[in-house]
Amino acid sequence: MTHTLDVNERVSPLDRSRATGAPASARSTASARASRFGTFAITFGITFAILYTVFERLNWPLFTYHPAVGKLDFWMQRARSGEGPPMYWYGWLVLSLPCALVLAWIATMVPARCLHRATIFCCVVAALWPATFALAAFIADQASFDAEFLKSIWISAIPALVGAAAASYFVPSQWAQRVWTGWLLIVPIGGLVVLGYSLKQYFLR
Amino acid sequence: MDIIFEVVSVRTFWRILLFVHFLLAVALLAAVTLQAVAVMVPARQAAGTFIQRLRPGPAASYATAIVMLYVPTFLLGAWIYIKYRTYVRIPMEQYGHWWTVGSFEFKEHIVTMGLALLPAYWYFWRQPLSEEHASVRKWLTLFLAFTVWYAFVVGHVANDFRGVGS
Repeated sequence: MTHTLDVNERVSPLDRSRATGAPASARSTASARASRFGTFAITFGITFAILYTVFERLNWPLFTYHPAVGKLDFWMQRARSGEGPPMYWYGWLVLSLPCALVLAWIATMVPARCLHRATIFCCVVAALWPATFALAAFIADQASFDAEFLKSIWISAIPALVGAAAASYFVPSQWAQRVWTGWLLIVPIGGLVVLGYSLKQYFLR
Repeated sequence: MDIIFEVVSVRTFWRILLFVHFLLAVALLAAVTLQAVAVMVPARQAAGTFIQRLRPGPAASYATAIVMLYVPTFLLGAWIYIKYRTYVRIPMEQYGHWWTVGSFEFKEHIVTMGLALLPAYWYFWRQPLSEEHASVRKWLTLFLAFTVWYAFVVGHVANDFRGVGS
């Protein structure tokens, strides 16, 4: 009975409303399994969207495919003379997939409260880092003194990490839990905005 | 591959793949549109306005079919993408069809995001449906419907440039 209650306590946020007709122990086992899958699926969706956007923007494919000659190269390789255009998309996908799978699997073993806060931390970092980098680059261009060091992507990581840590620490637990599934939509849409903006060269010619 | 190319020409082979991709995409488009309409129009009685009477079956019944169609459509599209990159995109750039190139680049991102959300989408549509997650279920469905429609339209435009029947 105690075990059943424990399991129910751990799984309740995602699967409280499911499986009401089965015996209590079978229900709790099914509910725990379903809840673990729910945690896995939601975390996978969020992390995959973040990682794919990051890998695309940094151009970090696991491999480069040269379709004209049917050749694969590890990591990122620029186009070589006589070998046609390189393709990176497969490389971003194949790198994002195992990373997201591992993170989603880890998420199933982490207490829900930590997971919700970790999600806030990662999402805020993902939003703040490019924003602070853009701001730093703007300041560096406008400043009357030599502020080229601000254009380092690692310098802009500092305020992003501090801001994300503060956000994940101060945000109320209930809010973090309530908004958790919402990241499933916020993150891919945000990623698409970033990726879409990076394609503006095609639309402004 | 050489065995296949002894039976059909390389050109015909890619055209068959593209056509199968198109057929899967049409089926996916139908399923995802019907589900999106079912989610958007929560009519409970048969009588009512014209749109309410057109309301399709229970939205949950489409979820598994959508997942089963999305994955092979995505994989087939990813395969055909090889041909697009060399055979279609290069002339597209030479003719200056930059909007089509950019839209197609965005297509690869949007279908990837759709794929990432597929496990969660399937989870939220499992029976019995949770009332608590009705909102996220609805928005996930609409997001997927948008990705499929966008991919279909842009794919069709690219096909019109150089593809089956062009």
